[in-house]
This record gives sequence, structure tokens and C-alpha cells, in this order.
Amino acid sequence: MPLIEIKSLTKDYGDRRGVFDLNLSVEQGEVYGFVGTNGAGKTTTIRQLMGFIKPQSGTASIGGVDCWRNPAEIMRRVGYIPGEIAFPDEATGTSFFKRQADLLGLSDMSYAKSMIQKLQLDPTANLKRMSKGMKQKTAIVAAFMADPEILILDEPTTGLDPLMRAEFVDILTDEKKKGKTIFMSSHMFEEVEETCDRVAFIKDGKIISSISTDEIRHNQNKTFKIEFAAQEDYRRFLAQSLEFSEQRDEQNQVIVNVNDSEINAFTRLLTGYRVKFITEIKYSLEKYFKTLY
Amino acid sequence: MFSKPILKQTLKANYKLWLIFTGILCVMSVMTISVFDPKMMSTMMEMLKDTPMAEMAGDKLDSMTTLLGMLSQNFYGMLAVILPMIFIIIAANSLIAAQVDRGSMAYLLSTPTKRGAVVRTQAAFLISSVFCMFLVVTVVGLSCVQLVHKGLWGEKFTPDAVAVSRILDLDEAEIGDNLSLILKNEEALQAGADARQIDPDVYLVYLNQKMTIKAYDAAAAALGKDAEEITKNPALLLQSPEALAAAAKVMGVPAEAYGAQLTAAIEQQGAMAAQSMELQNKMAAGISAAAEVLDVEASDLVNSMGKIKASKEALTAAATASGLPEENILGMINSQLAADELAYDDGIVFSVRDYLMLNLGAFLLMFAISGISFMFSCIFNLSKNSLALGAGLPIAFFVFQIMAQISDSLEGFKYLSLITLFDAGAVVSGGSFGVQFAVLGAVGVVLYAIGMNAFCKKDLPL
Repeated sequence: MPLIEIKSLTKDYGDRRGVFDLNLSVEQGEVYGFVGTNGAGKTTTIRQLMGFIKPQSGTASIGGVDCWRNPAEIMRRVGYIPGEIAFPDEATGTSFFKRQADLLGLSDMSYAKSMIQKLQLDPTANLKRMSKGMKQKTAIVAAFMADPEILILDEPTTGLDPLMRAEFVDILTDEKKKGKTIFMSSHMFEEVEETCDRVAFIKDGKIISSISTDEIRHNQNKTFKIEFAAQEDYRRFLAQSLEFSEQRDEQNQVIVNVNDSEINAFTRLLTGYRVKFITEIKYSLEKYFKTLY
Repeated sequence: MFSKPILKQTLKANYKLWLIFTGILCVMSVMTISVFDPKMMSTMMEMLKDTPMAEMAGDKLDSMTTLLGMLSQNFYGMLAVILPMIFIIIAANSLIAAQVDRGSMAYLLSTPTKRGAVVRTQAAFLISSVFCMFLVVTVVGLSCVQLVHKGLWGEKFTPDAVAVSRILDLDEAEIGDNLSLILKNEEALQAGADARQIDPDVYLVYLNQKMTIKAYDAAAAALGKDAEEITKNPALLLQSPEALAAAAKVMGVPAEAYGAQLTAAIEQQGAMAAQSMELQNKMAAGISAAAEVLDVEASDLVNSMGKIKASKEALTAAATASGLPEENILGMINSQLAADELAYDDGIVFSVRDYLMLNLGAFLLMFAISGISFMFSCIFNLSKNSLALGAGLPIAFFVFQIMAQISDSLEGFKYLSLITLFDAGAVVSGGSFGVQFAVLGAVGVVLYAIGMNAFCKKDLPL
């Protein structure tokens, strides 16, 4: 049975905003990416999981517990980073962490301390004057401090610089190794491709497609871009029975799809031509979803 | 049920606001109580009695002569309503709606804290903060009454009763019931006058006035009538032997003697009333002359006629200007001063029970008002909407209340205001207020319940 399960969930805000008949499931230990443009319904879905809003129909449950009916039960196991961070009235990061620990019934702050170190956060800074990045780091620490088994993260890397983003990806990888279940939303393909096991693409409140990132990484269909030294070679090559996805006459370039099983035959074939360069076009999640759009 | 960490945080976030408002309220209460001077108030009311202002103020004027009456009009009709109301408006919004609007509520609800526990804790805080506010005001008020107006509670007796009791070797209560005993003892009379810091002749007049009031009260009880009726028409007394006996007993004379005394007094009063206008004009002339001699404003002198008595020249001048014999003028001054003493006795009456009821009523009103603000704070996700109704409605009530007081033609506005249910005047003047208090309590309970229920069921944009 999946740990996080959303079944035909609908929340209609009118104007085609909201989520419609949404289904998804996240297994224990899985890292699930939730990608979509702004206003696609990512945050609405997460609010349902947190029990902040009531579904019009359908259900959302975590560990078999209904998210709307008994959110307090679920929150014992969940760490959460809100999409829009607004801290309560506290003077410094330290006092904010203390307050959250109090609410969580947490007495051991060692995990929080190690997170603070990893993110290079100065928790003694004034909470209200923090930069966006610092606020985001503070929110990350608050979500992780109780070392919860489930993490629900709404665009957790907004405001982080590239170095910190990389650090955050490392943290997620560590958490994943520990067997945590992570549900994160993002509008950045690279990020989810790096960290997630599965990625779902949401558009206008509906999941268009979901794919395992393994399928992307170990895709057997490779794409190559080849430019020939002379037009004569280019023309001759086009006569071959290959799967061309693009032909560029002025540049003598072709883009060709080759399956791994035919790669040897393909290289042998190429020896008969004067090739200027050959390069592989990486297959990415972004590419995958662009084909769906 | 409640969340201790949330309560801790709420206390931390709101105690300063609470301290400021409670502090201001206490200072205002202390000031109102301290400036009260029963003699001065009664003289002022006496002066106002025949002016158009008195008509405007209506019944309020009468109640102003006692400390509780003045408190009920000034403090509990105004400051004790508007100040806690502002505190409530600010606090109620910050407890729920502001946190939802900002989004920081997410940090409460992403912990294992039920929504019900959040909203219950915040409601409990708001209610108990208002309760504690009035508790502190009550304690400070009572302490102030005791410190400034000593003997208002704890000591039930006027200073002269205490002094006389020592000489006559009776306890104070017996003295109060048998004032005639003082009249019969030269030493007691002197001691009583000294204790009140007045002349023995003024004291004598005072005692007679006081005894007359008590006698009328006793007669009224015997007749089963209102004391006021007897005061207006003492002749009623003569018609009933029992009433006469009761009154005579108070006066310390045999019934026949009192009957004769009373008949004479009634006749004299009739004669006085006939020429009262003339007398008043003469007296006014006398006072003006005395004021010139003493080099003070005539209007000030009216409030302190004792000064004329103290100065031989002023008295002579007054007698000459008014054309009245000095004894008459002295008599009028004495009765005026005695009336001041009577007013002081009235003003000194302070019922702790009424004072507590006044504070209980103010608290219940604020409980209901806080219910309004809290309910809207729970219902709305945006601070501006929560404030529009949660602050707007209580302020509208307050404005309606003031409009209803300003003019009779606007009196209908009082039916639009919840504040009307807390009638401070009725509490101190023995009117009925139990039902109104119960309604206020019920309104508060219902509003809080609606608010809490709404918060638990609504969608939160966090």
C-alpha cells in the first residue's frame, strides 16, 4: 500500500484553477517530484496533503490516515516547507527553532544543529531582516529538525544560490538513503531529475504524465547531432535508412535517433563519411515533458 | 484540549499590549475615584438642578452624587468600554486572522496540533485576558477607594459616630439608631462636631436633618409608603398613630410632642415656601455683599458659605445688604452646611457588591464584544475583512450608544447597540440587570462557539 495516496481528488476554484480528479501515489522510501508551471495546482495538492483545505471530492491520505479528517495525527510524521514562507513573530532564527521544537515536542536539537551547519545558516540573525535565501534555509531547518519520516516540500529551493541548491540536493540524497519518503514540488526540471525517483507533470490541475527518472537516465534511444564536412556526404547520408528527426541543409547537419542495440552498426556506417563533428543530445526530463506539451 | 506551547507564545506576543491597556484603565479608575468629593459633587448638582443642563442629564444627575453613581456614569459608561474594546479588537485579529493572512499559521498546523486546540487556546487567552483586566481594575479600584476615601468599606460609620460612641459608651450601630442621644449630651455633641470638623451648631442642624430623614423613613415603613412621598407631604404622618410613634421613636421624643413639633414645622415650611423667592433674592444680595468684603467671587462663595460665618465683617455686610437679621443668615448658612454633611453621608455609601456587579457587567459586555471580534477573526482569512467587521461592529455599537445618549430623538439607536445591555446606572441604582447580564454571557458563548467551529471547518490558504 502506498504511503501517500491521492484518489480522484477535486478542488475547483473556478476559472479552471484548482485540481481535478487527481490521482497519485507515493511508495514508502520514494522521492516524488511534482512539476508544473505556476498556477498548475501544485500548492493546492500540497495543501490537501497538509489538511489545510477540504477536498470537494476524492481523498488524500498519508499512511492510511485521511489528511482532512485527522491532520494532527499525520503531522507527527511529516516535515513541511511551505511554498510561501511567513514566519511567526519571533526575534531570531534560534528562538523560532525553539518555538517549533516546543510545538513538535522535540527536545533533541542535534539534528537541527547539523542541518544549520550544512546550510551555513546563521540562526542568531533577526528573523524579519533575513534575505530570501536565509529565510528559505531557516524553513528547511525547521522542516527537517525533527528528522521526520515524510517530507512535504513546496518548491524548497526558491531563493537558494546554486551552491546551496547543490548542498540541498545532497541533503535530499542523504535523506533518501535513510529511507525517507519525500514529496516535493518544483518548477525546475534539473532539480527533480537529479533527486527524484518518479516525477509527475501537472498542468491545469491534472497530471499529464508521470515517469520514473530511471527511464530517462537509462533511455536506450540516443539522439546524435552530426555535421558533415561536405554537402556530398550529407546528401549521401540522408539516403540511409535511419530515423532522422531533423535535417539542416545549410549546415549539413542531421539529428538522428539511434537505439543502443544498433549503435555498432551505426558507428561502422559512419566510417564511410567525412564527419566534421558528432555530439550526443542528452535526453532530459525537460525534453520528455516538452514532447508532451 | 489546549496547547501549552501556543498559550506560551500567545502570552509572549500579547502581554505588553495587555499591560498597556490594563495600566491605562487602572490609572483612569484611580483618578476617577480619587477626584470624587461627595460634598463638592452635591453642591454642584444642587447648582445644576434648575438649569437646562439638568434636564438634559435627566436622572443621571442624582446618581452623580455618590461615588458609585459617578463611576457608573463616567468610568463604566465610557472608558471601561472603549479601552478594553480597543485591546480586544487588536488582540482578536492578531490571534487568528492575522496569522492566517500572513501565512505563519502554517507553522502551528504543520505540527501535531489540532486546529481545535489552536482555536480553543486562543479563545481561552482572549477571554481570560479580558477577565484579568477587569479583575486587576476591580482590585485596584477597591484599594483606591479604601486608601482615598477611608471608611468606605470596612468602616461603616461616619467619624462622628465613632467619636460619640466612645463618650456615650455605646457601639456605633446603636448611635446610628438613636441619634437623639447625641443631642442630649453636651460633650458628645462637641466630640461629634470635632470629628466632622464642623461647628457644633452646624452639627446640631445636621443631626436634626438626619433624624428627620430617618424618622420619615421609619414612618414610611410603618405606612407601607415610599419615603419620598412622606418627605413631600409630612402631614401624612399625622394621620397615622403608628407612623407618628415610629417617627417619634427615632426623634427620641414622645409621640404627642413630636406631633406638635411636626405640625409647627409644617406650618413654618408653608410660610417659608410662600416667601421663598423673596428670601432667595435677599440671600443672593447678602452673599454678593459678603463676597465683596471677603474679596472672592460670589459664585465661589455659594459653595463655601462657611467663610461668611468665619468673618464677622462679611456676616454684617451680608445682613445689611439682605436686610435679614444675622441669626437668619446664620441659620441658612448652617442648614446649607448641614446639607453638605448629609450629602457627604450619602456619598460615603459605597456598596462593594454593587461595585463588583459593575465590574462583572463590564466584563460580560467585553466578553460578548470579544466574541464578535474573535468570531470574525476565525471566519475570515484576510486581516482587512476580519477587522472590517470585528472592529467595525463594536465601534458602531459604541457610536450608537453615544448617539442615543446625546438626544432623546436619537434614543432609538440604543436598540442597535449591544452596549445597552450593560446599564451601569441600573446596577448602582438598584435597577434590574440580571437578564441583560445573562444575555450578554449567552451572546458571548454563542459567538465564540460559531467562531471556533468555523475555524475548524474552513479552508486555510497556507
